[in-house]
Amino acid sequence: MDYVLRTNHLTKRYGGKTVVNNLHMNIRQGDIYGFLGQNGAGKTTTLRMIMGLIQPTAGEIELFGESLFGRRARAMERIGAIIEYPGFYLNLSAADNLEIHRRLMGMGNKEYIEEVLSIVGLLDARNQKVKHYSLGMKQRLGIARALLHHPELLVLDEPTNGLDPAGIKEIRQLFLDLARQRGITFIISSHLLSEVEQLATRVGIIHHGTLMEEINYDDLQRKTRHYLEIKVDDDKKAAYLLEQKLGLSDYRIAGPGILHLYGSLDQSASVNLALTSHGVGVKEIRLSGDSLDYFLKVTGGVPLG
Amino acid sequence: MVNVIYTELLKLKSTKIPWLVLLGAIPANLVALFAFLPKIAPDGTPAGIDIQDMFYRQGMVLVMIAPSIFALFTAYIISREYQERTINQLFSYPVSRARILSAKLAVVFILIVMTTVLSCIAVLAASLVKLLQGSINFDIIWLGLKMNVWVCLLSFGTVPVAAAVTLIAKNVIPAAVLGVFATIVTVIGEIGHGQGGILFPWLTPYWPVRHLAQDIADLADPNPYAVPALIILSATFVLSMAFSLIYYVRSDVHSGS
Repeated sequence: MDYVLRTNHLTKRYGGKTVVNNLHMNIRQGDIYGFLGQNGAGKTTTLRMIMGLIQPTAGEIELFGESLFGRRARAMERIGAIIEYPGFYLNLSAADNLEIHRRLMGMGNKEYIEEVLSIVGLLDARNQKVKHYSLGMKQRLGIARALLHHPELLVLDEPTNGLDPAGIKEIRQLFLDLARQRGITFIISSHLLSEVEQLATRVGIIHHGTLMEEINYDDLQRKTRHYLEIKVDDDKKAAYLLEQKLGLSDYRIAGPGILHLYGSLDQSASVNLALTSHGVGVKEIRLSGDSLDYFLKVTGGVPLG
Repeated sequence: MVNVIYTELLKLKSTKIPWLVLLGAIPANLVALFAFLPKIAPDGTPAGIDIQDMFYRQGMVLVMIAPSIFALFTAYIISREYQERTINQLFSYPVSRARILSAKLAVVFILIVMTTVLSCIAVLAASLVKLLQGSINFDIIWLGLKMNVWVCLLSFGTVPVAAAVTLIAKNVIPAAVLGVFATIVTVIGEIGHGQGGILFPWLTPYWPVRHLAQDIADLADPNPYAVPALIILSATFVLSMAFSLIYYVRSDVHSGS
């Protein structure tokens, strides 16, 4: 399996405080990796270590199959990034800012500047000084800059900050298109569950500097599906009745006397009737399971976004 | 490296830096023009315009102003990356931090040269006129140009100190305060006219200026403090440069500052 990025025992301590603790991230080629955690969980510190902005206290970062140590420059040519806030030279135009980026990336072709400005819808504002840009425009320009050198990996720290809902939707679609059309791998950090859910093919949940879970989108979907939780005195008989009397097979026995019924969320009354009329004692039926519940469980009860 | 220097120069487009260059150059031109004021020679006859004297006045004023202006160049070029939060992006390029800092200091040197060249405009114009009139030969102009080359080189010796202070503070103010303090000491040192003043690193550029003045006064003895002053300035340069490089290369970047 081709890994674009792996971290091994990645740790950052400040004084006695561990900000990132023994992190093992695994990001495969083509992943849209949602890096999810509440504010202060260690997301930005991790991304800064990946970009070489801060030195890890311990551990290793492997980019494109090679250790970052001693090969940083070569790796950076293949990465585009927005870390925390897209900083620009405010006295310069968007085109001049991208020209600086083009030269420092060692790119020959100037035409890409117009191409990326066009992608993010800033072509008409290319000669306007960045100090006159709104936060949303700066965020788009940051994305344009990150794309300019045709990166294989995009590291985006809270990329939709400052965008209005329409802008968020547009940028989200842009990321999906880039992933599909150019095969770009993304790491997108966010403290917003909804953000990550709508984009990610793989999710890493960080809490207090520790990576609590790495999970594929399909598994996440399964774990965060809504279901009817049915507490009964005889789970085997209840399962038999669900299948035979009501024709419902999308369920699982979650524990002794507990069934989770998926996809038939509006049938609680008929389920109750079918079970009780056949002598199964129903203690409770309730709608349960959503992504927030799941993340609360993973992060030990601390709500996210 | 040329690309990195070019980007550093591009960053100065539409900033106040060109005005700061003029601010450094104009006083030297004005004081040099004082040579045009009517003067009487020791024998009571009207004295003409002395190009060497003009160069001396220009150099003297430039050396007074240089610590403040050059510290501001350095501080602005380094600190704006932190202030405008471009440092995250800057350090994400496939360019070493040492090379980035070197390019920044190279741009400071270019600005020092520009300020020095512009500060010579009045005296060079007067020289050209006198040269065309045949009343001076090129040796005098060469003497003044040599003095300015030395002023440029020696002034750059203290630039890494301003860089180090800026890197620690990540804003312009401490380097500006340092520059003003150095200017005050320089002014006092020049007024005192003592030979030992050049031991203060920011006053070392006054050595070639004073040398020119000695030449005017026919005092040919070399300044006995020249060598120690050069050693002190070299040590200042090497130590502050080493500190700046190590600090720049090793420091973590947090929240764009």
